[in-house]
Amino acid sequence: MKNDIAIRARGLGKRYRRGQRNKSNSFREVLVDGAKSLFGPGATPSAPGSSPDFWALRNATFDIARGENVGIIGLNGAGKSTLLKILSRITTPTEGTGRVEGRLGALLEVGTGFHQELTGRENVFLYGSILGMQREEIARKFDAIVDFSEISDFIDTPVKRYSSGMYVRLAFSVAAHLDPDILLLDEVLAVGDFTFQRKCIDFAHDLERKGATILFVSHNMFSIKSMCQRVIYLKRGEIVFDGPTDEGLKLYETDCRLAVAPWFHPEPDMPVVDITDIELFGEDGERKQMFNFGERMTIRVRYDAKDPITDPDVRIGINRSDEVHCSTFSSVADGIGLSLLSGPGEIELTTPPIKLVSDLYTLTISVREKKYGRMVVARLGETFHVRHPVFASNAFGVFNEPAEWNSLALLQTNSRDDIQLSIAKKQPA
Amino acid sequence: MNVMPPGTVSPSTGSLAKDGGKSGYDLRPSRGIFDLELGDVWRARELLFVLMMRDVQVLYRQAVLGVAWAIIQPVFAVIIFTIIFGHFAKIGSDGLPYSVFAFAGVLIWTYFSESVRRSSTALVTDAELVRKIYFPRLIIPFGSVIAPLIEFTIGFLILLVLMVWHGLYPSWHILAVPPLLFVAGALALAMGLWLGPLNVRFRDIKHTLPFMLQIWMYASPIVYPASIVPPEWRWAYALNPMVGVVDGFRWAVFGQGKLNIDTLAISLVLIAFLLVGGLVFFKRQERVFADVI
Repeated sequence: MKNDIAIRARGLGKRYRRGQRNKSNSFREVLVDGAKSLFGPGATPSAPGSSPDFWALRNATFDIARGENVGIIGLNGAGKSTLLKILSRITTPTEGTGRVEGRLGALLEVGTGFHQELTGRENVFLYGSILGMQREEIARKFDAIVDFSEISDFIDTPVKRYSSGMYVRLAFSVAAHLDPDILLLDEVLAVGDFTFQRKCIDFAHDLERKGATILFVSHNMFSIKSMCQRVIYLKRGEIVFDGPTDEGLKLYETDCRLAVAPWFHPEPDMPVVDITDIELFGEDGERKQMFNFGERMTIRVRYDAKDPITDPDVRIGINRSDEVHCSTFSSVADGIGLSLLSGPGEIELTTPPIKLVSDLYTLTISVREKKYGRMVVARLGETFHVRHPVFASNAFGVFNEPAEWNSLALLQTNSRDDIQLSIAKKQPA
Repeated sequence: MNVMPPGTVSPSTGSLAKDGGKSGYDLRPSRGIFDLELGDVWRARELLFVLMMRDVQVLYRQAVLGVAWAIIQPVFAVIIFTIIFGHFAKIGSDGLPYSVFAFAGVLIWTYFSESVRRSSTALVTDAELVRKIYFPRLIIPFGSVIAPLIEFTIGFLILLVLMVWHGLYPSWHILAVPPLLFVAGALALAMGLWLGPLNVRFRDIKHTLPFMLQIWMYASPIVYPASIVPPEWRWAYALNPMVGVVDGFRWAVFGQGKLNIDTLAISLVLIAFLLVGGLVFFKRQERVFADVI
């Protein structure tokens, strides 16, 4: 049934020319090459010897049914954003075809199109129009938009005076009132403070109930799990999995184990050090991935230093599923003199009691030359869960440790001054 | 075939569908050369208007003199031209007071050059939008040649006052002002359609533009009358499409002399070619904007 398909993609691909930006921006070069390339679609076949093209996306074929919520996962540079850009017509595919049925709202970045000099009110109209709303429609929804954003006091202030939080709230509120049939979301839920994030997730669920189709790009596996029944997993521009969320996430997690960290850029003259394995053990010495709050964790890292490296700084970081960097253990900071890494070896580290809140975490392992020198290797490691019946990241932040509490004003004798007492009385028991 | 099942259409979407004709679109790698999708521009006219308003609102904000700047520049240019060319160099002005003569030329020229400048650079100014949001890219050059009409209108009223002060009254020829303005806008648009995409790739355009426009101004009858060009060179002179437009504009405003139909016809043909070529060129380049901008 054609009518049930919201997005149809058939072999969509996008080719970029490596280094395109720097190379072709020289006017002289093009004058020399001749102006003929200007009439081409831009990505003309490269001449022999020049840098090769690369495919940011290739052979993307799928159907997304109306009302379906699909998560798009993959490491940075896997083609997720390219796919969304093609679907929202920001860029055209190099090959393949597709069809999008219905009104599409793309939130690839909240607040693009806001103008710093204009007031919040003017920006609501500007941004609304940019997102594809009619003027009359924005006017009708204006009060609701301002209410949702909770910044009605500042609506006539130029947005250049807004805090980044206010900015995002207003932008998201406009976007939230777009009422699209299809919504493309790129990590935008990862902005704003917590209560606002909650609102955004509620908004997404609301849309879901209205029967909207949602494509959701995120690194946060928990949001993906809670919102999507299906995931498309992209790896180096190709779809390697398309199916049930649980299965896709498992595959993704397995793939991520020991994957080179996306932010790591090796240099050719660097010493070669490899991380060959990472294992996690509980206090009882058993391998495990589910830890209780307050439990100590032993991390064993196997490395192979093909080039010896002196005075290294070995770091083990803990990242929460929403990419919040929670903690880093550094051998240098802890005063451990690992004078030389050479050949294959093993490093073991036992953490203090883990007081992180309930969530999914990923380890990152990196080795630096000397103190604060170049990073020679960085890999994503094992994932683990922390379990606590109460402390979850959506209410208790990153970590939790009991504090010492005193309620002096209530307990002290009446001889203290009245002001303090009256304050104390006001507080609910 | 019906593309929208009734169940999922929200009221707002319904109105868009009605207005836009269709909601939903195809994704495809290449289009035919003359598939210019001008319908998309029409459907996005509201966004065009909003973006234009944004530029107008922003332009004079936090400037003490505000919108007065729209006329200060041309007025000063006219004063300088009047002193140098009118008094010192004693260049002719077809029997008109030099200041009024120059003002009319500067006015239409300012509209034209401002439109060219904006339509050539606006894509890059709005790079953030181009990279992150879809909209028919053509509305950017279109909006860039419409917005300066506001400043033109203010200047035009001043010109009328100036004329009356000099005892000159417009005739029925003034009805030709809007069509001539349209022609000037079409030429500016054509320039923007060519230069805008080039500027996306080569920022050299931005640096070349000011002196290109400067040269062009002196190659047009702004500070001098076209009549001082030797007759045997008139044909070459007419290859500058602005010659016909500026000449025609003075004819329309002052109601004197006769309209040089030949020159204007050459201008129109050239502009038509530049415009159609520009549209095709712009559409060809459009799909890589987001990638190279």
